[in-house]
Amino acid sequence: MRPASAHIASLIRQAWLSLALWISFGLLIEGLIGYRIPALLDDPMRRDLFRLAHAHGTLLNLLLIAAAICARLRMIYLRPWASWALRTAVVLLPVGFLLAGIWHYQDDPGLGIWLVPVGALLLLLSAFDLALSVRRFAR
Amino acid sequence: MSVPESPAQRGFRLSVVGSVLFSLLAIASILWAFTPSYRSVRLGRADAGYLESGDCRKCHESNYATWHSTFHRTMTRDASAETMLGDFEHDNVLTYEGIRAEMVHEGGRYWMKLTGADGKKQTLELVRSVGSRRIQQYLTKDGDRWMRLPVAYDLVQHRWMHLNGSFFHADGGAYTQHVAEWNANCVFCHNVKAQPGFDWNKKTWNTEVAELGIACGACHGPTGEHAQRALSPLTRYRWHLHDKSAPLIAVTNPARLDSDRSAMVCGHCHGQRLPDPTDRIRPILSNGDPYDAGENLRKFYKPIQQDSHVGSYDFATRFWADGSPRLTAYEYQGLTRSACFTGGKPGARITCTSCHEMHGGDPRGQLTAAMKTNAACLQCHQQFAAPAQLIAHTKHGSSSTGSLCYNCHMPRIVCGVMSAHRTHDIEIPRPEETVRFNKPNACNQCHVDWSVNRTVAETKRLWPKTFDASQPGGSKFDEPEGSRALFAGDAVLRALTAAMIPANDTTAPLLLEGLQDRYPIVRYFAANALAGEYPTLPKPDYLATDSEREKTLQSWYPHWSPAALQQAQQTRLRLSADRVEVDVEVGE
Repeated sequence: MRPASAHIASLIRQAWLSLALWISFGLLIEGLIGYRIPALLDDPMRRDLFRLAHAHGTLLNLLLIAAAICARLRMIYLRPWASWALRTAVVLLPVGFLLAGIWHYQDDPGLGIWLVPVGALLLLLSAFDLALSVRRFAR
Repeated sequence: MSVPESPAQRGFRLSVVGSVLFSLLAIASILWAFTPSYRSVRLGRADAGYLESGDCRKCHESNYATWHSTFHRTMTRDASAETMLGDFEHDNVLTYEGIRAEMVHEGGRYWMKLTGADGKKQTLELVRSVGSRRIQQYLTKDGDRWMRLPVAYDLVQHRWMHLNGSFFHADGGAYTQHVAEWNANCVFCHNVKAQPGFDWNKKTWNTEVAELGIACGACHGPTGEHAQRALSPLTRYRWHLHDKSAPLIAVTNPARLDSDRSAMVCGHCHGQRLPDPTDRIRPILSNGDPYDAGENLRKFYKPIQQDSHVGSYDFATRFWADGSPRLTAYEYQGLTRSACFTGGKPGARITCTSCHEMHGGDPRGQLTAAMKTNAACLQCHQQFAAPAQLIAHTKHGSSSTGSLCYNCHMPRIVCGVMSAHRTHDIEIPRPEETVRFNKPNACNQCHVDWSVNRTVAETKRLWPKTFDASQPGGSKFDEPEGSRALFAGDAVLRALTAAMIPANDTTAPLLLEGLQDRYPIVRYFAANALAGEYPTLPKPDYLATDSEREKTLQSWYPHWSPAALQQAQQTRLRLSADRVEVDVEVGE
């Protein structure tokens, strides 16, 4: 396998594994709601943050798969640092929401929420990098 | 060895960084443009910096929700279908002292139509309500004045009532004697940061409040600066990680104040007060209440005590003869007299929030389930936690009402808003105080068929160390205390006794005699006790004329022997012969 292919395979492996984890987490949320578990139902902030964690965890990993496919098809150029930023962002964003929901202040998310802006910035950087790389490929 | 960056690569890198920076700048600009400003709220007014509850809700949703369920919130509201709790459609007429009051909802507005004995009519619009738990009072607007009207709605008995039925005034007084200016009275405690706006030269009002009802600002003070700082998440997380009482948070939290200052927050309203010095009333009526939660209340006010007076007007009748409050809204005075307070270390002793919970628990009393039990007192008095120790202390069974700390140490010897309330003067129950001060004692509140002298003797026998020096009273204290207090006491004592006596076949003749009382508040409690125990009999109307009430009572009398009824009547006549009637004002 060429190094580039190995890199893309690694991306896809991370994405599917993470997707499996966040889908499992979605099931857990359903279970907590279904069985009327007060730790979730009586805590609106935790519910919001868990939903955000689940949504970001699943959608961002789908995005990671899409990015890997685009790179494999040479539609975009996935530079090493952009790849690192993207892979880190898809971990930091949902994990930040999750941690902030597990333990939070009465009227503010927990400290884990600070992972979210870091992840968002990395995601933004990688998104622009990929977007601009399309033009570069076209040239 | 690093490969030099080509111009194309550099341009690409710059494009990416530039795009990111542009995005961040755009986001920051939007945030800046839409960031609210709280620092300048109501600038230049007495309530500068006071936010409304809706602003606090943006961050404190759960605290907002718990406050929203309280009767504090609904204390003062503008008239609407949601807020007007009286019956304006069906049972909407009250005739008292010959004056007919009809309350109607017409054209989306609320009206009180008064027809005097002489046929003279007056129609008043009800534009604001005060109260939502026990009684709801109504305000009409007269120019720049808001006037409290004499007819209110009893939310417990679901009927209209004259305020004579709530206060301690006998029948026969002026129908309008309880009409009061809201701007100068109620406004201070039933709203946030009152500013009556009285112009002493023009004699006009321009009354404003920070928020109608008792909302966040009443306990947390001005929070504009706090809200402004809290807009930054960096600041908020710095607060989360540091001391919550630090001045940088810029908000008063009664739970984090020292205990004495914390009690003052509640005492501001639950402890009727006089401006100090008295002529401070002038700037207060002009500019507003100077007190903000967290400050030293004594800087501006002194609590009304038994020996307080304004000119020739004194407040003694609001207290038992030993100085303990006997009306509601004096809880602060009660607490600060109690041994739990005086025996504690200033700043670190009992306070209101030791038992009461402002953001949780039962809104009726603001107590959690645990704090309604002995757990409240066991916080400090752990030595009575075990049943054996409790029994040894109380001489009652561990599950008896006589072993509930509250019943003996905070008996219901305070009257207000048509209920008997627990005193906040936490004390050792001393039956001899009934002899010395004509003050009800905890023991006889349950043992109503015992005389005070018997109770004094029993306490000496059961707790010789504590009550060795107790002295019995004269022969009148050989009467069963339920009868003596119901007929020989003044209106407050009689009302409290009627409220505490359980109706049964033995006490019913006495309560029926209680319905002969000249004070409607006494009749109110007697009628409720009787109707509660004998629901199939027609409930006597405590506000009806004597003859109308007597008609109703005719259907009650056959249920008791003539001898029992006659004995009760003789008891009333004998015990009431020497009593002194004193009307008791309850307002500030």
